[in-house]
Amino acid sequence: MKLHASKRQDAVIPTASMADIALLLIIFFLVTFQIEVDKTQVTLPATGIRLEVPEKSAYISITEDGMVRVSTGEEISQIVPMADVATFASSTVARDPERAFVLKADKETPYRLVDQVVDALKLSQAKTIYLLSEQEVVVGGAADGGV
Amino acid sequence: MRVRRKSRGISEEIPTATMADVAFLLIIYFMVTSTFAATRGLDFALPEEEDNPPMIEKEESVLIAIEPSGQYVVDGQPMELGDILEYLKPKLERNPLKPVIIRPGPQSSYGYMVDVFDELRQGAERGIEVKNISIPTQREIEAFWD
Repeated sequence: MKLHASKRQDAVIPTASMADIALLLIIFFLVTFQIEVDKTQVTLPATGIRLEVPEKSAYISITEDGMVRVSTGEEISQIVPMADVATFASSTVARDPERAFVLKADKETPYRLVDQVVDALKLSQAKTIYLLSEQEVVVGGAADGGV
Repeated sequence: MRVRRKSRGISEEIPTATMADVAFLLIIYFMVTSTFAATRGLDFALPEEEDNPPMIEKEESVLIAIEPSGQYVVDGQPMELGDILEYLKPKLERNPLKPVIIRPGPQSSYGYMVDVFDELRQGAERGIEVKNISIPTQREIEAFWD
C-alpha cells in the first residue's frame, strides 16, 4: 500500500482585505471630520436641551478670566479685545444676515462679560445665538418629579 | 557559448502587504488629532428689530434675578431652581404669554443664567411652557427701566 505524504499547508493569515477595511475607516473619518474653529478650553455649562449648532456658525468664546476669541466659522479663532466684538459681529452679520452665533463661555465667567457680548450681538442684529453646552446628567431622574 | 534565457518573468503582482500598515497609520493620526468637539447648545433667538417694540411693564412680568452667590430671587422671594416652574404655573395658566425676565447680576456666573434658562425651556416637557422669556442686557435695562 502506498501512503501519500500529506501536503503541509502554509500558515497564512489573509491580510488582503485589511487595507480595504482600513481605507473605509479613513474615508469615514474624513467625511465626519469637522475642523474645530475654536479650541479654547472652557468648562461649559450643562443643559437638558441641546440643539445641534448649524454648520459654519460664527464662534465667540469667553474664558473665565475674560479672554475673548472670535471666529466667523471659516477660520481659526483669534483673540480680540472686548471692544472689538461689536465690530466683528456687525461685519459678520453684514456678510451673512442669517449666520448663527455660538457663544462658548466658561460657566464661571462673570455675567457682566457675557452681557457685553450679547449686547453687541443684539446691536448688530444677529438673529440666533447658541449657548454651547454639555449634556446635563440627570441623577435619579425618576425621583425628580416625585419629591 | 550557450546563453540561457531567463524564463522567470517578473511577478505581475502589486505589492499590497504594506497598504494596510499605511492605512492604519493614517487612521491613528486622524484619531489622535481629532478632538471631541461639543457642537450642541441652547438656542436663544434674539428679537427682530421692530419700530415699536412691545413695551413690557415691570409689574406684569415675572422677574428672576440672580445674585452673585447663585441664589435665584423670583419676584423678590429667594427660590430654589426646581421651584421656579411651580411658582410660574398658576401665572402662566392665567396668561400663557406672561413675560418672564431673567436678570443675572453683573457679578453672578454665566452658568447660573444658563441653568435657569434651561429650566424654563424644559418646562414645555412638563406641561408648563414658558413662551415669553427675555434676558435683557444691562444697556436695555438702563434704557427702558432705570
